[in-house]
Amino acid sequence: MKANTAIETREENELNTAKFYRMKVYWPLYVMALPGIIFLIIFKYIPLLGSVIAFKDYSVFQGIANSPWVGLKHFNTLISHPDFIRVFGNTLILGFLKVVFVFPVPILLALMINEVRKSALKKGIQTTLYIPHFLSWVIVAGIVFDVFSLSGLINIVIGWFGNEPVLAMQESAYFRPIYVITSIWRDAGWGTVVYMAAISAIDPQLYESGMIDGASKFKQMRHITFPLLLPTVLVLFLLEIGNFLDLGFDQVFNLLTPMTYSVGDILDTYVFRTGIQQGQYSFATAVGLFQSIVGFILVYIFNRLSKKVSDGGLW
Amino acid sequence: MFESRGEKVFVSAITVILIILSLIALIPILSVLSISLSSKSVVEMNLVTLWPKSFTLDSWGYIIVRPDLWKSFFLTLISTLIGTGLALLLTALLAYPLSKQEFRWGPVIMIAVVIAMIFKAPIVPYFLTIRGIGLYDNPLVLIVPHILNPFNLIIMRSFFKQFSKELEEAAFLEGCGYFRMLFQFVLPLSKAVLATLALFYAVVVWNQFQTPLLFLQNPDWFPLQIKIRQFIMDDNIIMPGAASTIDLNYNQRTLRAATVIFSMIPIIAVYPFLQKYFVKGAMIGSVKG
Amino acid sequence: MLKKWLLAAIVLAVLNGCSENNNAHTGSSSSAEEQTATGNVEDVDLEVWSINGGGFQPIRKGSKMYELYKQKLGVGVIQPYVEWNGGTTYLNQLNLKIAANEMPDLFMPWQGVEASLAKTGAIADLTDLLPEYAPNVWKSIPQDVWNIVKANDPGGEGRIYYIPNVVNYGRTAGLIRQDWLDKVEMPMPTTQEEYVQVLEAFRDKDPNGNGQKDEIPTGGREQVRWMDHLFAMYGVAMYEGYPDWDLYDGKLTYSAVTPNMKAALEFAAKLYKDGLMDKESLLNTGTQWNGKIDSNRVGNYYHWSEAVIDRLEPIKKNTGVEADYTVLPIPKVEGYEGFYTWKRIQNPAWVVKNNKDKNKTMATLKLLNNLYDEKNWNDLYLGVEGMHHTITNGKATLLPDDKSTMENKAFKPWEYLSTLEFSKELYQNNSTESRAWAINQNVRNMEETQKYVKLIAGDGLPASIYDGFPDISNRTLYLEYASKIILGQLPISKFDEFVEKWNKSGGEEVTKRANDWYKTVHK
Repeated sequence: MKANTAIETREENELNTAKFYRMKVYWPLYVMALPGIIFLIIFKYIPLLGSVIAFKDYSVFQGIANSPWVGLKHFNTLISHPDFIRVFGNTLILGFLKVVFVFPVPILLALMINEVRKSALKKGIQTTLYIPHFLSWVIVAGIVFDVFSLSGLINIVIGWFGNEPVLAMQESAYFRPIYVITSIWRDAGWGTVVYMAAISAIDPQLYESGMIDGASKFKQMRHITFPLLLPTVLVLFLLEIGNFLDLGFDQVFNLLTPMTYSVGDILDTYVFRTGIQQGQYSFATAVGLFQSIVGFILVYIFNRLSKKVSDGGLW
Repeated sequence: MFESRGEKVFVSAITVILIILSLIALIPILSVLSISLSSKSVVEMNLVTLWPKSFTLDSWGYIIVRPDLWKSFFLTLISTLIGTGLALLLTALLAYPLSKQEFRWGPVIMIAVVIAMIFKAPIVPYFLTIRGIGLYDNPLVLIVPHILNPFNLIIMRSFFKQFSKELEEAAFLEGCGYFRMLFQFVLPLSKAVLATLALFYAVVVWNQFQTPLLFLQNPDWFPLQIKIRQFIMDDNIIMPGAASTIDLNYNQRTLRAATVIFSMIPIIAVYPFLQKYFVKGAMIGSVKG
Repeated sequence: MLKKWLLAAIVLAVLNGCSENNNAHTGSSSSAEEQTATGNVEDVDLEVWSINGGGFQPIRKGSKMYELYKQKLGVGVIQPYVEWNGGTTYLNQLNLKIAANEMPDLFMPWQGVEASLAKTGAIADLTDLLPEYAPNVWKSIPQDVWNIVKANDPGGEGRIYYIPNVVNYGRTAGLIRQDWLDKVEMPMPTTQEEYVQVLEAFRDKDPNGNGQKDEIPTGGREQVRWMDHLFAMYGVAMYEGYPDWDLYDGKLTYSAVTPNMKAALEFAAKLYKDGLMDKESLLNTGTQWNGKIDSNRVGNYYHWSEAVIDRLEPIKKNTGVEADYTVLPIPKVEGYEGFYTWKRIQNPAWVVKNNKDKNKTMATLKLLNNLYDEKNWNDLYLGVEGMHHTITNGKATLLPDDKSTMENKAFKPWEYLSTLEFSKELYQNNSTESRAWAINQNVRNMEETQKYVKLIAGDGLPASIYDGFPDISNRTLYLEYASKIILGQLPISKFDEFVEKWNKSGGEEVTKRANDWYKTVHK
């Protein structure tokens, strides 16, 4: 007995010394992290505490503390609304379309741009591709409406084939494809930036040895570029999933018309009409919380999955 | 460089496709540019698509001589430069420890960061907090709230994680501490991710309007986007008895187009400058040396 | 040394005081009141919030606009830059200010916020203050309107918490090209059949004479707005495209769910199908629709009859044509009494902060009193010389909008206390020889419109009847069904389904509240 405790105490001492040693060596890391942590607390977490208004009937005049508690009333209002299924469904569908069709495009583009030989051409292409990102959705949507208008490009082309003009923006059948295409049009070029950075971090010697071994460009892409790009892809995918229900209010709002509500009305636009425009902060916050919780659950699930597949993952 | 004919065709095909896509991507800005260079009448009658009609420089002429626009331009430029610099520093300082296994707070902070990214604070508490720390009607509000972004932080950490372990061990053996490690080795070799995040942060600071709109009272401190919005707001307010605008060659739409382009040019021009950091092997260089 | 400074300071202070007293009493009618009220009302600066639709400069202390308002209204006025953005940004910023305990002293409420502010005592009870300290306000608004305001007291005690926006004449009407009627040799239509024939002639007979079939007989804008004339002929109460409340079968009903609306939608759908209505009507933004009118392509549109000049001048500039848009008399439809809706009581114009500092409350009342004195209106309309207007040969002309230099006109009383007489004067005074042809149409149309307008029973209904039913307030369901019916995507039979859904999702409750209100007002 005594011998055991003696060993334990000695192990404990070693552990303590090790801890002490670790603190001594690793303390700079903690100091470095401090400013960032303070920033996060002040600018993110303290305001987040205000999310309690989702559980209250918040009135600006009474203030956060004095507004009465109402528990889950606002969540109830959201879920029991007759349009909730439709709105929630639209959000899920558009989110899904975004992940499947829009997310991969920047990756492909980055791989393609990587193959362009002339540097000037490469720069030119990269710059032009990412320009649309800087135009606000108000303007881009305006252009989209123009392009699909009776005198717009699309109907001119349709006219060449002798068909009747189509007003796509007022037909619900076209809304989702237009959503996907405009997302790609505006943001895919911008999305390539991160991937270009990741590709540039790949050791060129790997390509050289690959070529010496007789690997074609295809093979190089498959066996060198893509696998080394994967960690970045994974991180960006997880971040995208985290914002799954957050589809970008500006885009949908500006593309939406009452004729396309049935497929295009999402949580964000619904809340805008029923919450934000009326200054109903409690309700708007409740819906936002709802979206965030779903997003977080998804990230959690996918994060665990990704840890099993590679050693990636966010935490 | 050994390349089969098949590969040459492959590369050419890709290049052609990319050029076509680029042209398609140019359509929006061509449209806006054309409107800014067209006369009021043709724009009103919706006759302008991709090329200017009834070419006129009047809209640009109106914009160029607004001293308040230029003041705002330079203010925004300076705040972007300072903001981006500070942001890169702060982000790196937190991303680096997070990328190290030995940082015990790592996983907890990562979850906290993800939560901070996914959960957005409602506007009223955010407003009250920022006011509480003295940023109300304070030009610093153009910079300070933006100097750390969870999304960017996670990206930088992910890049740091892939940083060469051999290099680090070599440096440690030479008695290099963490601070030196970060500033002398890791950062200089992370030009690609720094350039990327510089771009991301710069765009956010340059384009901001929500925060300044709520927190700044003094219009002298208004960043460019608020000025632009004054032209973009489609004011369907009917104002009877307004002055005659018959003789003017520009109108709301043309001015709006010109101001939009005016505010875009600097930020678009940033990327070509940064592209040299995206060259292959920019990071690897010194390892072998 | 110290003594000298002290002496200088005292002298300065005295001089300051003296000069202030000298220029305080310019042109205001309630000087007697001021002198008996507590202390330095002249030194007070009020923070005032109102619409800044054009993105103009704020009004800062000591600025030109500040001085103008101080001179004409007797009180210093400060207005920060508040983006309007259709009311959303405005409301947000207002709420944030309130949350931070910095409510403006005098402001225009939006989206019914005045109801909760009244309930929590944040805004002042004006019932007794107005008659005593701002008699101009009290007298220029008719008693029956004040009774409605009292009935809208959220606390149910008949107190007045806001100053209403009153438009004393009918503003909107259908406008049709008289010169086109002449060109196709048809008289002004009086019945619906004749109206449709006229539209067909507009479509087929090339009245704008350019050899192309580009005419748009009639149309409107997105959200089924600004095509009210099609609904007006069926007796549907509608203001600027928003369905409103009127008596149907003796009961106050939302016009969107009446059989009149069903008939109107059927008619509109037919016009759409036959190409008599712009195919892009439901996609048109304001700018796009105006653009079509300005291209000399539209035969009949619906808007403010006094804003005709806003279309006439561009048409002339773009195509050289001097168009003639005249008021369309309501085409008669068998079995219906048509009318253009006259909404006399619109969104509340002002609420006053319940200030602890009584000086500020007095100053606000003084300002309001001067504001509602018609003698000041022309000066307020012209604004600052050199900034908003110039004077040539003794005549003042307005300058075109310039966001960089012009300060916002915080007060436009002629907009919320509109009379036909003042509006007409405004246009005629602003007339020049080159503009006379267009301005005369303005004036003519304004008078002509009054023949066809009707006051609706729902005039003055408070926004609070929609509390808890934001989708009814936003007319979401109506928009979906009406749009699709007009476009032909849904058959007219679906209308009944719409009415049922509307009632079930809160319409029934809202109707009940509206009728209770009606009973209170018309005791």
